Amino acid sequence: MIELPLVTELLLAFSLTLALIFAYLTVMERDLIRAVVFSAGQSIAFAYAYYLLFAPDIVLAYIAVGVGIYSMILIFAISKTERYEKV
Amino acid sequence: MTATKALEEERTHGAIIGVGIAILLMLTIAAVILGATGYTPSEKIRPLAQFYLYYAMNIFKKELWAATPEAVNSMVWDYRGYDTLFETSVFFLAVIGAVAVLRLPGVKDVSTKGIFSGRGLSLIVKVVTKFIVAFILIVAISIAIHGNLTPGGGFQAGAAVSIATLVALVAFSRIFLEERHVTTKLMLPIRVIGVVGIGLVALAPAIIALTGTFAFAMQNQPKVWAPNFGFPPGFGDFWFSGNQFYYNFLEFLAVGAGFTVIYLMYSIPELIYKEVLKKK
Amino acid sequence: MTTLSQVLWIYMYLTLIGLIAVAVYGIVRRPNLIKKIIALSILGDTANTFIIFIGFRRGLATVPILPTLNPTLEQLIAFKNTAVDPLPQCLVLTAIVINMSVTAFLTALAIQLYRLYGTLDVRETAKLKG
Repeated sequence: MIELPLVTELLLAFSLTLALIFAYLTVMERDLIRAVVFSAGQSIAFAYAYYLLFAPDIVLAYIAVGVGIYSMILIFAISKTERYEKV
Repeated sequence: MTATKALEEERTHGAIIGVGIAILLMLTIAAVILGATGYTPSEKIRPLAQFYLYYAMNIFKKELWAATPEAVNSMVWDYRGYDTLFETSVFFLAVIGAVAVLRLPGVKDVSTKGIFSGRGLSLIVKVVTKFIVAFILIVAISIAIHGNLTPGGGFQAGAAVSIATLVALVAFSRIFLEERHVTTKLMLPIRVIGVVGIGLVALAPAIIALTGTFAFAMQNQPKVWAPNFGFPPGFGDFWFSGNQFYYNFLEFLAVGAGFTVIYLMYSIPELIYKEVLKKK
Repeated sequence: MTTLSQVLWIYMYLTLIGLIAVAVYGIVRRPNLIKKIIALSILGDTANTFIIFIGFRRGLATVPILPTLNPTLEQLIAFKNTAVDPLPQCLVLTAIVINMSVTAFLTALAIQLYRLYGTLDVRETAKLKG
């Protein structure tokens, strides 16, 4: 009924929509620790999109860098500076 | 009054530049939708990509092959090797820059003995972390060594092994790592060994070319116009793919040690900095 | 290609345009330096995804990895006709490393700025000129 390329494209559209929602929540959030958590969620949505686009090397590199290294460097920086942003 | 007016002018200036960049990127994507790079997504790929896919593991035409069944790794280290060489040097310089900005003046290595005290995290976290650190180390070494046969390679393995150090740093404390000699004094020489090793393996054919034959730097297999020098692709069951095995392992050492140095420098608590800056 | 597929592809490109707009808004209008660094990383990842979209092959597509060490000629020709473009993936790996190096250096500079001036708000730091 539904053939294989259509299933791949539906899942790609779903993962990119999820990334857009997480990115919007990241930019609009005033508490910086929550913004870092939303940014990690957006990285996971992008990693799922890379898996559906048949790129396994990039999935390995991007999950380690996006979820592990970015989140930890930003949390160290936030703990040494301020936590809330004054809009 | 003029100070705030100049401020407002600069802010709108910045906003106009930002919006201009955004419109430029959006027009690029719109051009691709309307067919600037051919009809995307198409059922055929470009002739250059077909060339790389056909000749990456072509045992019938050994003048152009790269001796590795994984096309992406063959392009990272053999067909487009100079990109990776300079990317490694950019990463090296970034770690030097970050360490130089956050360095304490006059102090060589910081020890956080006696600053923290307490029970730490719960027992479940500590036991599970011990298992997880061992598994991550094994998986990272496997990704580095099998980089020319399965998805993986040098940089992916280096990023994964730094996650093991990070998890041990967060669940236990920095003293735990210092007592096992995982300090910046040990990691900086490992990083230098990795990067210098990559440079030597890249320059080895050019040094051998001084004796009369024709070989170029970063040469993997013997080519049509340089047929006298090449790394051996494998012995029986063990497949080296020329010099890509050595490149993957040395890049794993360099990247893993580089990330560990960044974590150890960032996790020094602020009390030490305030003490040192107050004494000056 | 059916019309549902065409609509889905255009929708995906419009999502990428929306991500660029959100990231540039975050860089320009948010006053905290850490928030600007987070938005810059979103912009870089969107550009990488767009590059891999260009190299995608519709229909029968496979990973660009050959499963055997002794391929026959028919296997090589079938591999050439069904695998996804491997060249954008090689360039995106380099781009990921360089973006991450720049982000690590920028956070080191932001921490040092906080120690010297006591604030990370760009509106107050801009008043300190002259």
